[in-house]
Amino acid sequence: MMMKNIVPRSLMLSLAGLAVTAAVTLAQEAAGVPPQASRLAEQNLRPYWHVFAAYALVIVVIGGWVISIARRLRAIEDRSVE
Amino acid sequence: MTTAGMRRGGVVLTVLGLAGLIALYWMCFFWVSTEVNQGVIQRIFYVHVPAAWTSFLAIGFAALASGMYLWLRDDRLDRAALCAIEGGLVFATLVLTTGPLWGKIAWGTYWTWEPRLTLTLLLWFIFVGYIMVRNSTEDPDKGKRFAAVVAIIGALDIPFIHLSVVWFRSLHPEPVVAKPDGPTLPGDMLATLLFGVLVFSLLFFGLFLFRYAVEALRAEADLRARSAA
Repeated sequence: MMMKNIVPRSLMLSLAGLAVTAAVTLAQEAAGVPPQASRLAEQNLRPYWHVFAAYALVIVVIGGWVISIARRLRAIEDRSVE
Repeated sequence: MTTAGMRRGGVVLTVLGLAGLIALYWMCFFWVSTEVNQGVIQRIFYVHVPAAWTSFLAIGFAALASGMYLWLRDDRLDRAALCAIEGGLVFATLVLTTGPLWGKIAWGTYWTWEPRLTLTLLLWFIFVGYIMVRNSTEDPDKGKRFAAVVAIIGALDIPFIHLSVVWFRSLHPEPVVAKPDGPTLPGDMLATLLFGVLVFSLLFFGLFLFRYAVEALRAEADLRARSAA
């Protein structure tokens, strides 16, 4: 008797659980709050890469100007020595 | 100031500027708080805005030197304008590369033809145009005069760039510091930004002096070569 009732009761409990989960998810979507999985998927390292690229560009471009001026200075000094 | 004095001054200011750049990076990565809406990408602001300020300073300085050159016809003023324009080109390049890196995250696109971006690109072309015009004539004095006019006209772009976000419907954020009712940035962000402006200005003036010394030496070498021939 007990064993007979366990299966349908488990099925009923699982369906009730699914219904509650679906209701919570639908309520979250209606409220505009993304589910946890979507929220985690939105977090990536792309903004960090862009920040590092911008900061590296500053060093490369200013460093390039310094090297360019130094090379022109050396060329003029060599010309003066000749 | 002698050429050797300019070189020394240039080296001192550049070394100070580079030390300041290291301090600025430390502030940006470890000290300043993260902006609540944009997150970490907002930190590009601390190099993008100072670079824009320095490019405005450069074209303003070049226009002033060019105006005085047209009046006094002193080659030192033309050399000063050329060196300022070269610096302006460097910093305008930084504005036009760091801005899109921010825009891709904030707007979802690297580039859009909105007024401030378009006018900043125009400023970059004015810097390039100055150098091209200066080197495009057979008579060097004529090239210098034409280039001086380009620098003066180019400086008129600055108020348009600054006010474009107020005058037109624009995607670009409005000014947060240079506005009539004062800065609206939190204290630590404002301090980092102003320190960035100081560092970029030091780098500009340091490298400007260094570059000017090179041009002065070139002029001396040309004069010696002409008198020897």
